[in-house]
Amino acid sequence: MKRLWIAAALMAAMLAGSLANAWYAQTLCDGLNRDLELAQTSAQAGKWDRAEELTREVYNTWQDHHFYLHTVMRHSDTDSILRSFRSVLQYLKLEEMDQYAAANADLMAQIELLAEMEQASVVNVL
Amino acid sequence: MILYILIIAGIRLMGKRQVGELEPSELVLSLIIADLASVPMQDYGIPLLTGVIPILTLLSVTMILSVLTTKSVRFRAVLCGRPSIVIRDGLVDQKEMSRNRLTVDELLEELRCKGYTDPAMVKYAILETNGQLSVLPYANQKPPTARQLKVSVEEAGLPLVVVSDGRLLERNLTALGYDRRWLDKRLEERGCAGPEEVFLLLVDESGAIYLARKDMSI
Repeated sequence: MKRLWIAAALMAAMLAGSLANAWYAQTLCDGLNRDLELAQTSAQAGKWDRAEELTREVYNTWQDHHFYLHTVMRHSDTDSILRSFRSVLQYLKLEEMDQYAAANADLMAQIELLAEMEQASVVNVL
Repeated sequence: MILYILIIAGIRLMGKRQVGELEPSELVLSLIIADLASVPMQDYGIPLLTGVIPILTLLSVTMILSVLTTKSVRFRAVLCGRPSIVIRDGLVDQKEMSRNRLTVDELLEELRCKGYTDPAMVKYAILETNGQLSVLPYANQKPPTARQLKVSVEEAGLPLVVVSDGRLLERNLTALGYDRRWLDKRLEERGCAGPEEVFLLLVDESGAIYLARKDMSI
């Protein structure tokens, strides 16, 4: 019976860990997307400096979570997001609204998908 | 977990002959763990956790299943199957053979491996859940035992390896109750200068010795 309880406890711990990770990933990505959206609103209002400042903050937050992201997510996904961040920052410097809006939308979609991938949903399991 | 259950069901449907010596759940576990471990090992772009967590989950599931199989006979039958009697009173049960995807050639091969050339010599042949065939011959086909012949025989006990490929295993020598002096004397009697000249030396509890000299030309 001891083996049964050890296995059950291990599985419960892994389930709790997975759910906590799903919640954390969702919270992190939602926060990043919210600020990216604010940055886009600022850019649309012509406040390019504020938009760049906000995007850079989001980028720094992303970089601060480098260890977590690399140990939990697929490296190809996180690397792709990093490349998108660099493009968005470049378009912000150029103040190219069309290019920036497209790149920012792509970045936000990628971040959204990253969080979605971690969710314990039927769609993801199947 | 879904894949695990699916593969177990598949292996169970394949019949016992395909399983070999492992139980279906053990075979599935080894197959999946090998695959799960190899993916993060090959691809640095995939975090190690994606291999570690499923492996731990599978090991936990297996541990839970193994406890449940010891607690419930019905559950054990579902997971591991039941032994099938393929020969009863010398008659081959074709239905059981078909159920287990066991061909006549395979049955005869297994019987020959056990020393029986004719199914008529066999009282029962049971296909175990691990894929092995247990053969129980008719009483008149079994060799008589010393007890049946009322003959007194000496109990030799378990022979232990004392020298293996020139190396002395002192722990086994001590376990048998002998010392190095006793061994040197026995080796001298057999014309060996030391353990380095011996390939294999077995000694049983009664002190009987089997010695194979080392071929020094190899």
